[in-house]
Parts: sequence; C-alpha cells; structure tokens
Amino acid sequence: MVKIGVIGLTGCSGCQCEILNCQDALLKLLSKVEISLFPLAKDDNLEDELDLLFVEGSVSTSLDRDWLLRLRERTKVLVAVGSCACYGGVQAQRNDEVQIEEMVKEVYGSWKLPFEVFKPSPVSEFVKVDYFLPGCPLDKKQFVYTVSFLLNGVKPFFPKIPVCHECKLSENECLLLKGIPCQGPVTYAGCGAPCTSKGVGCQGCRGDCDFPNHEEIISILTKKGLSYEDALKFLKVFRGNTFRVRRVDEKGA
Amino acid sequence: MKKELNVNHLTRVEGHGAVDIVIENSRLSEIRLRFAEGPRFFEVITKDRLYTEIPKIVSRICGICYVSHRLAAVFAIEDAFRVKVNRGIELLRSLLTVGEFLESHSLHIYFLALPDYMGYPSTLAMVKDYPNVVKRGFKLKEVGNRIMKLIGGKTVHGENILVGGFASIPSREELEEVGRSLLKLIPEIESTLFFLDGLEYPEFESSHEMEMCLNSPSPSLFSSEVSLSDGTNFTKREYELFVREEVSPYSTAKVSKVKGKPFLIGPLARVNRLELHPKVLELTKRLKHSFPSKNSHLANLARAVELLDVAYRGVEFVEELLSLYPFEPTVEVNPREGTGFGVKEAPRGTLYHKYTFDSKGRCIGANIITPTAQLQSVIEDDLRALVETSLDSEDSEIKKRAEVLIRAYDP
Ligand code: SF4
Ligand code: SF4
Ligand code: SF4
Repeated sequence: MVKIGVIGLTGCSGCQCEILNCQDALLKLLSKVEISLFPLAKDDNLEDELDLLFVEGSVSTSLDRDWLLRLRERTKVLVAVGSCACYGGVQAQRNDEVQIEEMVKEVYGSWKLPFEVFKPSPVSEFVKVDYFLPGCPLDKKQFVYTVSFLLNGVKPFFPKIPVCHECKLSENECLLLKGIPCQGPVTYAGCGAPCTSKGVGCQGCRGDCDFPNHEEIISILTKKGLSYEDALKFLKVFRGNTFRVRRVDEKGA
Repeated sequence: MKKELNVNHLTRVEGHGAVDIVIENSRLSEIRLRFAEGPRFFEVITKDRLYTEIPKIVSRICGICYVSHRLAAVFAIEDAFRVKVNRGIELLRSLLTVGEFLESHSLHIYFLALPDYMGYPSTLAMVKDYPNVVKRGFKLKEVGNRIMKLIGGKTVHGENILVGGFASIPSREELEEVGRSLLKLIPEIESTLFFLDGLEYPEFESSHEMEMCLNSPSPSLFSSEVSLSDGTNFTKREYELFVREEVSPYSTAKVSKVKGKPFLIGPLARVNRLELHPKVLELTKRLKHSFPSKNSHLANLARAVELLDVAYRGVEFVEELLSLYPFEPTVEVNPREGTGFGVKEAPRGTLYHKYTFDSKGRCIGANIITPTAQLQSVIEDDLRALVETSLDSEDSEIKKRAEVLIRAYDP
C-alpha cells in the first residue's frame, strides 16, 4: 500500500486543517493508501519509508530542519504545502528588514531559546521539493488533485496563471479599477478567486504567478493611494524570501 | 533511583509539544511541558505594517482559531481608532464565531480527543467500526466551515473580515440557509453531548484556584471585561496588569499567571460559570456529569455543551440579522495615533491583542497573549497532580494518562 505522511513544521496548522477538510476524499483515500505519519490526527506515527510526504510550515528551528532532513531521506515524493513551506510564509516577510537576534530579543527579552532558531525559510532551502502547492492555506481541491494525480502516476501540474484569470471567470467587476488594492495581476491562481468575489482585493497569499510584473503593480497601487513603501510591504506579506523587487531608485530611473 | 519519562512529540494537539516527567526515588521531582513551536515573531512582523495588514497577518497565528485572532486584532484596531460598528456587523461577527466554535470544538472532540476514549490511534482508524460517529464529526465541522467561508470568504483565514466590518455581506437567502442548517444540526449536537456524557473520564481533581474568561454570558458575545473566578473583574486595558507573562527556560511559549497563580481558561472555565442558553442549561441538568467541575478531562464534555449553546445562539443571530437586513457592511475607519486593546474568547480560551499606531495607522508596537501561553502553567500543575497519583503505574500508562490530560486542554 502507498504510504502517506503529513507533517507541520513552523506554521499555523491551517494547511493541515484544510487537508482534514477534504472529508469525503479522505474517506475514499483510506481504502487506497495508508496514512503512516500525521501527528496532528493520529498516534502510532511511523517514520519508515514514505511514498508521499506533505510538509506544512517553514523551517525556523534546528528541530524543523533535522526532522525534515531525516524524513526526506525516507520519502520518495515530497510536496511542500502552503505558503509557509513554499515561500517562508507570513513569518518570513521581514527577513530582509530585521536580524533574527533582534526578533528574538523583542519577543523574548533575551537571546536564549531552548533550541537553535533561524530566519523562517521555505522547505526548498534545505531539501529537494518535488511539488509546490502554495496558498495560505493551500487549496483543498489542489490537494485532492495532487494525491489522485500521483496515485495514478501523473505529474501534478497547475499552470501559474494570474488570479485575474479566475476572477474574470467568476465574472467579478475589477476591484483595482474601482480603486481597491488587489494583487490579482501578479498572484498565482488556483484558489478560484474567493477574495475578489467577496469584494476584497487579492492579498497575494499564493505567491507569484509566472512573469509577475512587480514594478507595474507597485506603480498602479501607488496611483491608488498607497505609498511606495506600503505597496512594497503589501506585496511582501506572503511572498517572504522569494520577494525581490528592484527599487525605483536602484534602477536609476 | 532516578528515571525520566519523555513524550517527545505530543500527537493530536494543534502545536508541537513534549513532556518530561522526572521521577526520583519513587517521587515526582520535575515536570516540564515544552512547547517546541518555532517562534513566528508576530510582535515583530506586524511592526511597520499598515493597520489594514494586521488582521490578515495575525490570523495566521492559528489556523483553527483564526477567527478569534483576526477579530481580537480588529477589535484592538477599532479601539485605537475609536471606530464603532453597527449592530449588523456585530451580529455577523458573532455568527462567524459560531462557525469557528462549531469547527474547532467538533474537530477537537471528534478528531483529537475521541480516539483516546474509544481506544483508537485516530478517528480515521475508527471509520470501519464507527462510520456514523466519524461522519457526524465531519458534518458538524462542515457546517462550521460553511459559515466561516460564507462570512469570511475562505474557510481558513477569511480575508473578507476587515477593520470596520466586511467587504461584503451574505445575501438574505444565504443567511436563511445558515439558520436552517443550524436548526438541523441541533439534534446531532445533542447526540454528541449525550454520547460524550456517556464516556468514562478519569477521576481527577485539578488544584487550580483561579479560572478566567470574558465577562459575557456566551463565548460568541463579545466583551471588554474579563472575569476571574475569585470575583475580580478587570477591563481589557488592565489585561497585562493582571495576566503577567514570563519567558520559560524550556519552552517557546511564555508562561502566564494571574495574581501570581496558574489559571484555567477555555471551555471548562466558561461552562463552569453556567451562563448558558436557557435551553442548554435545562439539558445539562439531565447529564450524568455536572458542572461546575474541577476535572480537567471534562473540558471535552464542556465543548459539547458549548456546541449546543452556539448553535442556539446562532439561530437567534440569524433571526436578528434578517430583521436588520440590509445593513451597511462597513463603517468608515480613520486612522489616528494611539493604542488599542482587544480581547476575545477563542475556542481554547481568552486571547489578548494590543497595538500602537502612528498617525498614519502604521503599527509601531504590538503585544499578543495566546491561550497556549496562559495554559502552560495550569497544565503543568495538573500533570504534577496526575503523576503523583499514578506513580505505581507502568511507565507507558503514566505517559498515556499525561497525553490524554494534555489533549483535553489542546494547548
Ligand atoms: S501557509 Fe498559511 S495556512 Fe498554511 S501553515 Fe502557513 S500560515 Fe498556516
Ligand atoms: S479585481 Fe484583482 S484579480 Fe480581479 S481582475 Fe481586477 S486586478 Fe485582477
Ligand atoms: S484571491 Fe488572492 S488572497 Fe484570496 S485566496 Fe486567492 S491568492 Fe489568496
């Protein structure tokens, strides 16, 4: 039987909850696979050979790192789930602004923790990742597709088109045109644009689509009233370590 | 003779935890509950961000009780900017909390706690023998999820929940549907309640002297006042003066005390006050177990009591919402310099958020106190009491009992 694992490193368990929310699919899955490792949902967890491992959360401590390295050796296919695992997550958004020592001091008052901590990083900085399923949380449909694709020997593939595409499919009025900050043009679709359908701009929780034009979206956002700095921070929230934008002044423009 | 029992990875709890129990010459010498969560520095990552970013960032503290974190932050920001929302928005937020309690409590009862009492490693392993019990758990969770998705926009982390209200509100028909599904759920919750009441809970008396919760008759009704079981009430502004946090040498969760003492929060502390919906209060009189109780394991039963309570309240919220319909989804928000405070009962217990803003509404300081931090101390005390009465038992038995007790809290 195919052996599956689901673990959480440094994150909020939201992605694991979304996996538990795939109720019917999970019940069906149980006849085809063995869930050998899933500490949030079961005791008797085994860390022997795994065919498929889903990893939630960023790597932020030596414990995260060691566990991940150990499991990677015994896992055939590793899937990073959620924006924490794919990009570092919300906790990585100030990685380029503040030193880790400062972060620890601010929260704990001293630089002394029971284990080594480092700047929250995506899983791929430590091990090879076979597939990425970003989102905060990941989209549960994509989880179900990924499992069924892999069980059938098909490579999961989700095109990195922008959220605007799905937003238009939902026949939403464009919020950006109405002056509401929206990251749809630069964000990786796959969620079905639930936020823009409610009238709130896309917050970019799934990270970048292919060829995102950050400079252009920043310039649109600043025209809608955000300062350059705030527009930058708005884009940074979920993109964590992966977010690099050349500043206007750096370009010498 | 000295021996150490360790549970290195607590399972079926939300976070990462471990317990060390040190026994010397047949006496308990040390208990350490270690939370090994990677720190996420929410007080740092909210800094320098516009107020509009804060609820979104802090909802990521916890994927199970994100509604509470998100709302506590929203309350704090509205407090800082002196924003008053309308009754419709307030009710919609209450209904959102009903969804959160349904999802979180049923997840806890059915997926984290129940396997302990049914003798299975997990709920999924129970499917063969108890398909309908598992399905009932799924159903309760599902209704909670649907409410959160409808009002929040997404099942987890709901971006539609904003400072000043919501980007948009559900239609009349959608709200009516919520009311109907809650009514339909009530018999299922009653079955859950009597089922849990029929389980055998370990006999146990906690030594904690203090219990704490918001001073409101129901978790879904918000409040700005906190109430201690010794009769003291304090305002949200006084929170940090009462709930004192200290750094722990072995845990990434800080340790909180009230008046120098560990204190209980969460479902048992709330249900112990017996301020329940009249219909629920009536029903609790028919239970085998009774409240108030000092048995921490009964937190599981208290969750079922609260499930029923929120379902009844939810039906009332829907009725009132429909009578107000349509109402403005948002009120105007104008940032100003200052500090705001927000408290909220999350399914696991009280939360506290505090933010300071500059005149542009950029965050310059934050403090957040989570239920985990507040529970660390009382759980350690409980573990001590538990192990002291179990010293003659097998090591594996002691460990098992400790795990079951910790899971009742789900820190
Ligand atoms: S990606 Fe988002 S939902 Fe998933 S663990 Fe991280 S913070 Fe939670
Ligand atoms: S609202 Fe946002 S996602 Fe939708 S079309 Fe406009 S920019 Fe794109
Ligand atoms: S619309 Fe944007 S913020 Fe909303 S779920 Fe999709 S990617 Fe995330």
